[in-house]
Amino acid sequence: MPSTETSELSPVAPPKSTSRSRWRSMGVLVVLAAAIIVLLSQGILHSLNYFETVDQALHQRALLGTRVFRIEGVVKPGTITRTSSGASFVLTGPKDHEVFVDAHGSPPQLFQSDIPVVVVGHFTSPTSLDFDGSQILVKHTATYIAAHPHRVKAPNRTTR
Amino acid sequence: MIKQLSQRLLGPVTLLLLVLTFWLGLWVTPPDRIQGNLVRMLYVHPAVAWVALYVSFGTATIASVLYLWKRTRSGTLDRVAHCAMEVSVVFIVLTLITGSIWGRPTWGVWWAWDARLTSTAILGVLAIGYLALRRANDDPVLRARRSAVFAIVSAINVPIIHFSVQWWKTLHQGATVFTSNRQLLVHGSMAWTLLLSFLGFTLLFFWLLRARYRLEVLREETQRATLDLALEMRQREGAR
Amino acid sequence: MIRTAWLVAKKDLLIERRSRVLLWQVVPFGAIALLLSGLALGPTHAGHSSAGPGLFYLVMLFVALLMINRSYVIESTPGTRASVQTLGLDPAGVFLGKSLALCVELWLSGLVLLAGTVLVLHTALHGALLALPSVLVTLAAMAAAGTLYGALTAGGEGAATLLPVLTLPAFAPLLVAGERSFSAALTHSGLWEWWLILAVALVAYVGVGILLYGVLEES
Repeated sequence: MPSTETSELSPVAPPKSTSRSRWRSMGVLVVLAAAIIVLLSQGILHSLNYFETVDQALHQRALLGTRVFRIEGVVKPGTITRTSSGASFVLTGPKDHEVFVDAHGSPPQLFQSDIPVVVVGHFTSPTSLDFDGSQILVKHTATYIAAHPHRVKAPNRTTR
Repeated sequence: MIKQLSQRLLGPVTLLLLVLTFWLGLWVTPPDRIQGNLVRMLYVHPAVAWVALYVSFGTATIASVLYLWKRTRSGTLDRVAHCAMEVSVVFIVLTLITGSIWGRPTWGVWWAWDARLTSTAILGVLAIGYLALRRANDDPVLRARRSAVFAIVSAINVPIIHFSVQWWKTLHQGATVFTSNRQLLVHGSMAWTLLLSFLGFTLLFFWLLRARYRLEVLREETQRATLDLALEMRQREGAR
Repeated sequence: MIRTAWLVAKKDLLIERRSRVLLWQVVPFGAIALLLSGLALGPTHAGHSSAGPGLFYLVMLFVALLMINRSYVIESTPGTRASVQTLGLDPAGVFLGKSLALCVELWLSGLVLLAGTVLVLHTALHGALLALPSVLVTLAAMAAAGTLYGALTAGGEGAATLLPVLTLPAFAPLLVAGERSFSAALTHSGLWEWWLILAVALVAYVGVGILLYGVLEES
């Protein structure tokens, strides 16, 4: 009996070869990479989009109903009308689909014609293409162009 | 000799570049066609974000990986990771603040729940968590190992932030400098000032890192000396 | 690795069965939290089925934090960690075992709270049943992530308060994906996409845990 107890108390050998754990690590890394590639290749991450474009919104028109969501498009030139509660305008998508927006609240400083905007709100009825907006957000692009880059300077250094 | 000279010049060169950036950004460069004078934030926000996400968090992550690798493990790397993460917290907070200041007049809101903004805020919380984790462990080896693992796992968020504007539709604009077709979308003097700001803020990071690292070494030395003194006093008390 | 995982999981679950902390403390806490969430929203909003998924996962998040903390408190008795190290157990096996035990505990709490969501927050029963697979995968991923983060904070100063600071950012994508998958189940749209995302998250957390748990357990 004492000999058995002694053998039970004797230190256990450390885990076997490190090459095995190295192979396992490699295997885990391969599985991780494969999982991420599957996720990206399936293009299913669109569910985390901040907004739906005009075209997407019209494509899913029946599903959206009168649910609140964010719609993105470009403000059609010449359609902005300032109303007592905010502004109304036509929003166009890349495939020239259009949605009429009646937004409440004061629009942001940069709100103007031909600028991409995101409007928070909902369609006025389950079949209507009129959008009732509660907030306008201006989505500026990553392009920066100098205002009047070729403006001629007068001798007194003022611009004409 | 060269090392000493570069160390001496780091501070003045950083200051010069930042002064030049602000001068060009505020007085020389033209306003943007759409954004007007708001575009001047372009010379601060992207550069600060670059340092926050890639330079400082990247330095902390690389130092953590090297610490965990047995061949390169050293206290210096742990210290570098710690100091870089502290500087990273400052730059992440600055990124969020400057982004909000830019966002309010541009988008119309201080904050939006889009993928870029949310993932950056999460990175900030992770960086603060890293510092909290360091304070929770007194054993230097345990502290170094745990914080290195946490830094590496947290770094997964950096590529998510970077690609968020490509993977998802976000309110935040797409990449300005690191575009997929390698084309800078900024005109003339605005572009040069932008690149200068990147250089200036990157050097600012290294200057801050160096200063923080020296402070950390001094703190450790003081701690050791205090401990030695306390032990000596106890020994003297015992001898009496 | 599998044998070690099974041993560790059995040990943790046995301790839990004897102590009954899950049954008498954690699940009641979750139920109260769910009820209070309903009260905070008010009868009009709480009775609306769309509030259910978000509140369910929010409460599960708190329950998970309690369980992760508990999972490492039972290891903190003097000599436990040292004896695990002396036994030469495979760290990846220990990670998997602790994750498995935590997962089973979270699944049990999740089932009770899911029933509570149907009863109290008027979530459609059919939708809740359809959401069950995604709930199980989300909670499994929470268990894997929680086990790794629990090991990071175990034994440290203020471990119980540090744990949420470190774990909640890691749980954020799970919370979003879990809530969206539950909502998708209620509207019967885009379900498989969320299952795939959650499955990848589970693989990622388990993979990272297997790779890094050993580093934390090194002496």
